[in-house]
Amino acid sequence: MKRAHRRVHLLLWPVVYLTAALGLVAAMRAAPVEPVSEIPSAILTEDS
Amino acid sequence: MGATYKAVQWNGNKVVYDLYVLAALAAFIGVFMSVGLMAHPTGHTADPVVLLIRALGCAAFLMLTIILLIGPFARLNRRFLPMLYNRRHLGVMTFLVASAHFGLSLFWYHGGGPLNPFVSLLVSNPLYNSAPGFPFEAFGLAAFAVLFLLAATSHDFWLNNLSAPVWKALHMLIYPAYALLVLHVAFGALMTEKSPVYPALMVAALSLVSGAHLCAGLQEWRRDSGMKGVKATQGWIDICDPADIPDGRAVIAPLPSGDRVAVFRKGVRIHAIENACRHQNGPLGEGCLKDGLVTCPWHGWQYRLEDGVSPPPFSERVATHDVQLSAAGRVLVRVKKNPLGRAGAFIDLGAAP
Repeated sequence: MKRAHRRVHLLLWPVVYLTAALGLVAAMRAAPVEPVSEIPSAILTEDS
Repeated sequence: MGATYKAVQWNGNKVVYDLYVLAALAAFIGVFMSVGLMAHPTGHTADPVVLLIRALGCAAFLMLTIILLIGPFARLNRRFLPMLYNRRHLGVMTFLVASAHFGLSLFWYHGGGPLNPFVSLLVSNPLYNSAPGFPFEAFGLAAFAVLFLLAATSHDFWLNNLSAPVWKALHMLIYPAYALLVLHVAFGALMTEKSPVYPALMVAALSLVSGAHLCAGLQEWRRDSGMKGVKATQGWIDICDPADIPDGRAVIAPLPSGDRVAVFRKGVRIHAIENACRHQNGPLGEGCLKDGLVTCPWHGWQYRLEDGVSPPPFSERVATHDVQLSAAGRVLVRVKKNPLGRAGAFIDLGAAP
């Protein structure tokens, strides 16, 4: 690998990890929710 | 390495590998659906189609996790290097599994309404300001778009036309795509789960992949840091004692430019070539000599040590560096590389006084 690629690679992963981890925490704080009983297309059909 | 373009570069080993992956995939889906039906015999997730959608999604996520682990593991331990050879096939198969997950979800959840399924996918849930009801499909759709782009450009045709640096930069999009997939699962399937096991597994997968990449990256960073102390004397740098280079192998050394040079020993001769393979910038110096040719450890591309040119019918070239012995008997490498295709000066230990 070229040096520039190695640097970008190393800098990208903390961002990836933090983004995914924070999103996971936010989702888990809101969970659990009841499963949606109807499929989205059926909901749209009723609305329209 | 191919002299002509083929749609899929299969050979005997790759066909066997693909068959093994397909068998493992079928077994995974079978076990997933059986266990799923036993665990939830009633309700939404007892539907075989819903279970199949989840099994395909879970398989794609697992396959992508394995793919993302191969690179750093191979950097950290040479025993994982053979796994790099078939990584591209595994990547394309992951895209196909993700396509099946996407297509089936689109048909099942958005296919029966008055709207175009793609429009329905984007507008059926507008709760973007609500964590419990967040439209997790958006994360999955974005990740799928990246997977499509990468699978479509996975062929060496695109690698050659885009050039290795551009192609590598493009394919690094798989890292943010992995984060998108974690969010897709977190705001999707995990939202209705009451057991802490599934979020824990997700955290473990994310930590393992991120940790492995950070460890491998820090290892390379430390190697790069050693470059700051490298100083050329009249255009030459001191590498090592000739005895430090194992026969058939190389010592990798930093150059003041930030690039690296691979100094190979072939019997009594010592040659130097640039370290980055023309294919995907693989570390040639971590490879070995096979049939007298430098062989990249990543995908087996080969170069003649004398002039850095691939043997016929191939035409790839890496630059050579001149080498010489110092008065103290040390191996010196010329910092400036030779024009592509030009043979470099080498050391002949048999002729040395």
